[in-house]
Amino acid sequence: MKNLGFRPLRNVKTDALGDSILESMKQPPLSDEEAFSFAEFDPESAERGGYSGYSYWGSTLRAFFQNKIAVFFLIVMVTMLLFTFIQPYLPGQKDPLLIHNDEWGLPLNNVPPGEEFWMGTNSIGQDLWARIWAGTRTSLFIGFTVALVEAVVGILVGVLWGYVRKLDFFFTELYNVLDNIPQTLLLILISYVLRPGVSTIIFALSLTGWLGMARFIRNQIIIIRDRDYNLASRCLGIPTWRIILKNLLPYLVSVITMRMALAIPSAIGNEVFVTYIGIGLPVDTPSLGNLIQTGRSLMTVASLRYQLYFPVLVLVVITVSFYIIGNAFADAADPKNHVK
Amino acid sequence: MSERKKLVEVEDLTVQFGSKRHPFTAVDKVSFHIFQGETFGLVGESGSGKTTIGRAIIRIHPTTGGKILFDGKQINGKISRALDREVTQRIQMIFQDPMSSLNERAKVDYIVSEGLYSSGHQHLSAQERQEKVAKALSDVGLLPEFASRFPHEFSGGQRQRIGIARSLVMEPDFIIADEPISALDVSIRAQVLNLLSQLQRERNLTYLFIAHDLSVVRFICNRIAVIHKGKIVELADSEELFLHPLHPYTRALLSAIPQPDPIAERNKKLLVYDPSCHHYSDTNVPTWQEILPGHFILASDEEMAQYQKQL
Amino acid sequence: MEQTKNVILSIQDLDVKFTLRSQVLHAIRGVSLDVYQGESLAIVGESGSGKSVFVKCMMGLLDANGYIDGGKILYNGQDLTKYKTDKDWLKIRGKEIAMVFQDPMTSLNPLKTIGKQLQEAVELHQGLHGQAAKKAVLEVLSDVGIDDPERRYKQYPHEFSGGMRQRVVIAIAIACRPKILICDEPTTALDVTIQAQILELIKAMQKKYNLTTIYITHDLGVVANVADRIAVMYAGDIVEVGSCDEVFYDPKHPYTWALLSSLPQLGVKGEDLYAIQGTPPNLFYEVHGDAFAPRNPKALKIDFVEKPPFFEVSPTHKARTWLLDPRAPKVEPPEHIRLLREKGVKIHV
Repeated sequence: MKNLGFRPLRNVKTDALGDSILESMKQPPLSDEEAFSFAEFDPESAERGGYSGYSYWGSTLRAFFQNKIAVFFLIVMVTMLLFTFIQPYLPGQKDPLLIHNDEWGLPLNNVPPGEEFWMGTNSIGQDLWARIWAGTRTSLFIGFTVALVEAVVGILVGVLWGYVRKLDFFFTELYNVLDNIPQTLLLILISYVLRPGVSTIIFALSLTGWLGMARFIRNQIIIIRDRDYNLASRCLGIPTWRIILKNLLPYLVSVITMRMALAIPSAIGNEVFVTYIGIGLPVDTPSLGNLIQTGRSLMTVASLRYQLYFPVLVLVVITVSFYIIGNAFADAADPKNHVK
Repeated sequence: MSERKKLVEVEDLTVQFGSKRHPFTAVDKVSFHIFQGETFGLVGESGSGKTTIGRAIIRIHPTTGGKILFDGKQINGKISRALDREVTQRIQMIFQDPMSSLNERAKVDYIVSEGLYSSGHQHLSAQERQEKVAKALSDVGLLPEFASRFPHEFSGGQRQRIGIARSLVMEPDFIIADEPISALDVSIRAQVLNLLSQLQRERNLTYLFIAHDLSVVRFICNRIAVIHKGKIVELADSEELFLHPLHPYTRALLSAIPQPDPIAERNKKLLVYDPSCHHYSDTNVPTWQEILPGHFILASDEEMAQYQKQL
Repeated sequence: MEQTKNVILSIQDLDVKFTLRSQVLHAIRGVSLDVYQGESLAIVGESGSGKSVFVKCMMGLLDANGYIDGGKILYNGQDLTKYKTDKDWLKIRGKEIAMVFQDPMTSLNPLKTIGKQLQEAVELHQGLHGQAAKKAVLEVLSDVGIDDPERRYKQYPHEFSGGMRQRVVIAIAIACRPKILICDEPTTALDVTIQAQILELIKAMQKKYNLTTIYITHDLGVVANVADRIAVMYAGDIVEVGSCDEVFYDPKHPYTWALLSSLPQLGVKGEDLYAIQGTPPNLFYEVHGDAFAPRNPKALKIDFVEKPPFFEVSPTHKARTWLLDPRAPKVEPPEHIRLLREKGVKIHV
């Protein structure tokens, strides 16, 4: 038997009436005549009876914060994000591209992690700690930008595709064609043709990334498009853009956010992959991709494995955090989970 | 007797769904008219086409054949933008399910004032809109403070009233009520029905009341049409229909009405409608005939003779 | 209808609560009710009155955030409130107590044929297999009025209309050979013609298989046809219990008057229908006195302060209202209720 140990809330108006009657009854004990006389009838308080006080976003946030694991990862991720951006401004940080030499002018390469270089140095003497954070910044930037472009283009296309019946055929055919283009091949092709760099990668990744979001949004829109409240809006003469903005998109905010949260690690993963196979970012732009690639080539030498471990660890933390947070948010946003 | 004005006229209306090769005829050459100021009931089972007729009139569904005239002007098919705007303002609809007919993510304020954001009403200031909303809410018996709340905080009956307020704010002449009380508890239905009657008296509204329950319709409607599988089978004044129900389908509907009277219910015999009882064939075709003044029925000549004898 | 006075199910002082967003909702507030074997009992109330929650307790179907906070449910010498695991409840569900739900569309598995679903029930509860089971299935299909059972056996739920699906659901429930059949708003989602047929069907099944039926509904009109006894529920409590005739022709509680009066069948054309003001109380809050008081124009002052006890009107009829107290003023029920008593209701020819 659960005992939650708190008082239920009181209904102010009807209780006030009851209290006042109770009060009046406490004074010289009321005669039966008084107790059994008619009370004043207040239709307004009758109307007030049903108020429930439920707030969708309030319950979503509460459900999310009840998930301890998600909150933990949220803290981890936020801390990491903050640190990534504050890091260059902390005292004692080294430039990621600077090659450090020892007293004889020879590069301090492959120095294992220690006091001077917290994560050691790489094979040409650059501080790995600085490179890793620089790399994380780059990768995160790519990840967020791609996710944003995917979201914007995806929602635009998805909404038109789902809501405007006449465009359905056109978009479906377009989707079928584009979806069959292997994303990897496209990535490789574009990275090969254009100069390697951050904007190239963003362009290449965004080119096909929006397809999934568009299709997803389109499916959601088809589900809610013909619900009564949308018909009602049409009957009132509301223009299509307003129906999309006010009736459809608010329902999709939670799913859009979830997809974006999952798109970020996906984009970072793609960047790592492209750089890993050698056509991503050039070495002088540190990114998690080329850090991992360099590290992997040294994997066989036990003493140098740290150069692989550190960037991989960072990548894993980012990916896992975003996935967990994204999924936890999706669960929290589902009204069926709002009962606890 | 002065000629009553016909506000809505439906002539040989046909609505088909599906592809051209396999069309499904939901509404089959339906004709009726609605006088200004009256409540016209359209009663039938689910799938009979009654909702489709309502949606065709308000131009959500395209029509396949026939004409719909509103205030003398044809409103089905392609019409001018000005006429479209006029129709949008003068014809409004109340939906069946209070749980899905309101935008859950918007406040009651926005929901009720939604119509005022359409073209033709853009000149209104936020203040004016708020006033209209407050008035509409109090007209339907809700407290003005409800404007800042969300729909899920209200009960079914209250939500339905919010839906009514939403259509009222447009100041329409004609309201199509598509089973507005079917999804409500029986005790709440009375609230909404009284509200609809009251609004009609105050504003001289005309209603098309779509329902599947004849008992409700009797109470609120002046004339009733009974529809079965896309065809209207009987049409008469409500009291006349209850006094002299002729078509077997109408009689079946009537016998199915639950009565809050245990003795009567125990002695009741339930009639079931069997379409084959008509024995229609190529030679024996039913036509729309007037058997008494104002009382129409879909019957073949043989059946007409039978019905005449019954009266 | 004669009543054997055996009590088959006895609910005593039941308290059910739900935890919802860290608040406690007191859904059932100390309800006691006896169900007699072979009778047809109707529990009538608005949405939110707790009637569905009440019967769900009898089968252990409460939502995860609901719990029984007190009271007993006695069946066959066992206290069902002590059943916690599914294993315990399997002894009851189907075999002893079966339930027919409101929405036939979601009560059936869309991926299995009707025949297969029925056969599962028959095999499980009647112990038949193979050809014998199939024969039993065909028999029960024609029992519930489905023509051409051989063909229908192989069909899927989406090939059936709403009324037919509900017949199948009833067939599955009957196939379990239960002692008690609970019907939770079995006809609310159906058209009025189909509604009448389904009610006739349930009545016939009750007679044939000697069941005890419990109906849950918000529609008093439906109940007149099927019920022997009626219990009226409001805000988680029973406010009036009596035989069908007593509740319809001689109701005592203002809420029952209000329910009866608001039926359109009793309305007079040209006048407003009687409508109950307002909405049921929010059960997150404690209820002081009579829960119906704020909506009752004829409420007494004491209704707001002290919860009325049951006053007996006859050995079979009692109501929880202070109006029956000898000290209370004499209040007559509204006119159309008195007329119901005298003239009855005649709707059709």
